[in-house]
Amino acid sequence: MTAMHASALATMGLDLLYVLSILALTAIGLGIVFGLLGVMNMAHGEFVMLGAYCVVFIQQRGLPTLMALPLAIVVCATVGWAVECYLIRTLYSRPFDTLLATWGLSIVMRELIKAAFGAGYQNVTLAAAQPLQLGTLAYPLYRLELMACVFLGLLALGIWFGRSQVGARIRAMTGNPVLARAVGVNTTRLASLSFVTGVTLAGLCGVMLAPLVRVEPYMGLDYLLNAFFVLIVGGFGSVAGLLAGTGIIGATQSLTANLLDQTAGYAAVLIVSILFLWIRPNGLIARR
Amino acid sequence: MVSSRAANRLALVLISAALLLVPAVVGDFDAYQIALYLLLGIVTQGVALCWGNVGFLCLGQAVFFGLGAYLSGTLLRAAMQQPVMLALLPLCLLLPAAIAYLLARAVFGRKVDNGPFFSLITLALAMLASLLANRFSGLTGGFNGMVDIPDLPGTDRYATLYYVIAVVSIGSTWIFCRLLRSPLGILWSALEQNEERLQFFGFDTGRLKAIAFAIGAAASGLAGLLYAPHQGIVTPSAIGIGMSTQFVIWAAIGGRRSPVGALAATVIIGLVSASLRDRYPFWEALMALIFIAAVLWFPQGLSGAVAPWLRWPARWVRPSTSLTEQQAPALSSGAPSGGDAVPHLQLQDVHVRRGAVRILDGLALESRTRGICCVIGPNGAGKTSMFNAMSGRLTADRGEIWFNSQSIARSPAWRVAQLRIGRKFQIPSVFPGLCVRHNLLIALWANRLSPRDYLRSAPLGWHSAFGKRLLSRLPLLQQRPELAAGSLSQGARQMLEFAMVALMEPRLMLLDEPCAGLSPAETQQLMEVVRWSVDHLGASALLIEHDMSALEAIGGHVFVLHQGQLLAQGALAQIKASPEVRKVYLGGRK
Amino acid sequence: MTLPVPLLTFDNLVAGYADTPVLHRVSATVSAGQAVGVIGRNGVGKSTLLRALAGIIRPFSGSVVWSGQVLEGQAAYAYRALGMSYAPQERVVFDELSVADNLTLGQADRDLAIFANSFLLFPRLQSRLPQKAGVMSGGEKKLLSFVRIMSEEGALSLLDEPSEGVAPENIALMAQVIQQAKARGKAFLLAEQNIDFLLSVCDHLLIMDHGEFVASAPLAQFSRERIEAYLAV
Repeated sequence: MTAMHASALATMGLDLLYVLSILALTAIGLGIVFGLLGVMNMAHGEFVMLGAYCVVFIQQRGLPTLMALPLAIVVCATVGWAVECYLIRTLYSRPFDTLLATWGLSIVMRELIKAAFGAGYQNVTLAAAQPLQLGTLAYPLYRLELMACVFLGLLALGIWFGRSQVGARIRAMTGNPVLARAVGVNTTRLASLSFVTGVTLAGLCGVMLAPLVRVEPYMGLDYLLNAFFVLIVGGFGSVAGLLAGTGIIGATQSLTANLLDQTAGYAAVLIVSILFLWIRPNGLIARR
Repeated sequence: MVSSRAANRLALVLISAALLLVPAVVGDFDAYQIALYLLLGIVTQGVALCWGNVGFLCLGQAVFFGLGAYLSGTLLRAAMQQPVMLALLPLCLLLPAAIAYLLARAVFGRKVDNGPFFSLITLALAMLASLLANRFSGLTGGFNGMVDIPDLPGTDRYATLYYVIAVVSIGSTWIFCRLLRSPLGILWSALEQNEERLQFFGFDTGRLKAIAFAIGAAASGLAGLLYAPHQGIVTPSAIGIGMSTQFVIWAAIGGRRSPVGALAATVIIGLVSASLRDRYPFWEALMALIFIAAVLWFPQGLSGAVAPWLRWPARWVRPSTSLTEQQAPALSSGAPSGGDAVPHLQLQDVHVRRGAVRILDGLALESRTRGICCVIGPNGAGKTSMFNAMSGRLTADRGEIWFNSQSIARSPAWRVAQLRIGRKFQIPSVFPGLCVRHNLLIALWANRLSPRDYLRSAPLGWHSAFGKRLLSRLPLLQQRPELAAGSLSQGARQMLEFAMVALMEPRLMLLDEPCAGLSPAETQQLMEVVRWSVDHLGASALLIEHDMSALEAIGGHVFVLHQGQLLAQGALAQIKASPEVRKVYLGGRK
Repeated sequence: MTLPVPLLTFDNLVAGYADTPVLHRVSATVSAGQAVGVIGRNGVGKSTLLRALAGIIRPFSGSVVWSGQVLEGQAAYAYRALGMSYAPQERVVFDELSVADNLTLGQADRDLAIFANSFLLFPRLQSRLPQKAGVMSGGEKKLLSFVRIMSEEGALSLLDEPSEGVAPENIALMAQVIQQAKARGKAFLLAEQNIDFLLSVCDHLLIMDHGEFVASAPLAQFSRERIEAYLAV
């Protein structure tokens, strides 16, 4: 194998890893909200959009881009807290109405952003534009930084969830809410906290993706659908399921897009998800 | 429900008159605008049918609308050279219907509660459709759309096409209203209220949903067919998510249970939005907020607010027609369990595990007798789980279950019901929104109603000889047959559910604590009816009971379950004297 | 001898599920240092009673008074702080958590030192500390649930069939633990079907049938045969 082939293969591998990282990042927020709390949040993509528009907002005012991170956290946490308190909490026992209400919420969020920023694409500039040289391979530095962030972040989150007292309480609440309350766990507050964390993670995802993708009011739908497909295929409520779902959806999309084109990749993901609904209705690694 | 039928009829008459007068009153230009929203209103009716009347929501209905529109445009343009292409126009309805049917079968085939996933998948489909419409610009004209679509032959889009559209939309409304009143409509309504219960009457609910979805898709395709010549251009915006969202919002605000409401809301809100949208940038956000409010607090939408006003004058429009009574056809003896053979049930080494818990642990049981056998045992013994395994609610990991030589261990609930096994649940499970009469009708239709009968009005008047005798023993149910089942007392609901199970004329009845929550007097009355029914039908029944007095009164064979296995069986006196059984009941271990 | 201090009093309690009442106007009192047993066959309403008292389900009518305070509308998770602990009959542990986590979930820290005595009595539990609770047998789970609830500091414990599936030697030890707690002033309300356990632990019996108390008296007034008659087939 020549050095050319090796670096082409390495580039493909890194590309695939990049796709998987983004997928995992967008899916983890929904994995918390839907997988743990059972809330079908159709506005999940709109929180990603909020994060991206925070970057636009910051850059339009000439402020340092890093300030978008705390801004996104504040905005998403506040909106998330209000949504959980006034909308979701009243609908915990009605999953179909939750889907409808959050679908309406997503429309409201899209329209408000459209009214404030306009319907067109926004340009977000990227600081570290130099590619990183690894031997004969040149790969964009920002993508590598993003992959490293996602990997470390997910690792830290996974460890924290598995080891901490709060993580144990969340797992207890998910598996046996009646007993959790009997033992004294404040499930109302914990559910609110989990929801806020889930949507804030989505917002952070939007901040990180803003320089790489088209920022426009309808950008969220893609992430919503992909995140749900990952959960449908992988199953809810487990990290292993999330990883498995990410792997399958990501690989399907990448391979098909490379062989044919983007649209075919999208169609392939849709077909795979329908197949999984037919064959394994509880996902690969069923927990519920 | 009954009076709203007359209200609907009045509304339809009024609206039809109004629609036909429109061009004369407001002129051709405004009529052109209204025609557009009439077409969109037909699509909304399709969404409303599935959402409000059957219980699942399509977030991508524009796919069928757009598909019909693109097909229509293509065929009309081709017809300018070859008029024979016009003969293919029905494809605009048939292709969307076929896709819809297959999709619904695939998604609803396996699990009962796949509703939310269905919505997601239709959303993804809409995204894919708009991507495809943009990409294959050779076929669709791409982003700029398919242009220069000619008029529908024989019409002028600015004048006569309006009347065609008006008649089609009135016709569509009439068809939807009739569908909702037919046996199929009642089945859909029952499905929305209690899908599992409907399955236990032998109805394949996945197929019923698919039929509804296909009909909605066909209507949308028809709207698309007329949309192309009306606008002269079809762009990808007709097939994507934005358009699909509009249909859902109109359906929510208009009233998702009412075809008239759906049409009216589309026209009214559509026209208002068109003029206000450009003036107020927050208009769409406001509409979305109204949508959320409608979903949360006003599920009946506008039609719910208007209907009471129409109910009063509606009585003068036409008196309610009475249904002719008719003897129900004989039970389809397609089931080889048929005839008078003694019902034979056999469980062989049935194992069911949920995680680490062994719910059924090698359960082996055989019953080959007419009459009632009791099933008793402590908590967690597996009594209800045994019933669940026999009726498709729980899948056995290992082992077999035979009923009259048919294997039922892994069959879905509706197939088990088609073998004439009836199931009564511990917590009374009926169709709360339907009246008592319709509840009993559905039970009568079990295994008797063939798809040919779905649209006929005759089944609405069916009676059976057995049913008449049964109901004469349950005066509580005959008092007010038009009362909604959900407003009955606990005791009445238990009786209603049992009557429904008995009306099925099952060969085997699975009765799970049928007298739970009843007073001693009600218990006695119901048990008498149970005994009479089982005797009269020559059926076999398994009865789960805790009530000692009930067990003594029945006096049949008794099965004792413990920890997922059969512990003992025999006559009641034998069981009482058995030291093993005593130990289990008094807290010892086996 | 001091008069018993009433801790929990419920009066004319009516409760059930959806709109179906299961309990029909039941009343009783549990005092400090007292163990009251509720017995009856399956389906009479024992679990429903405990659930209504623990705040899991809201009663349709009637009153529940705890230490002089009327309980109305408190969230279920607040009951432990009020001093009432509850061990359900089904789904008694957190299957996905380790045994150690199951024991310490309700505490702020994760200190296992307070369980030292329990581990002496039930060494099997200690050996299973790092394992997931879901792999244990039904009886072991009940034991874990029992150790957990006994470690909670509240004044009253509601136990729903604590001995179900537990080995006889461990049942005897459980009875011992309860007696020691009673001597320290703790009160118990337990639903049970194991006669030996009831006889060794309870001071007062409530016999339940069809959602009502058909008998209520101190233990001494019941003969074993009479109790068996209420329970047997």
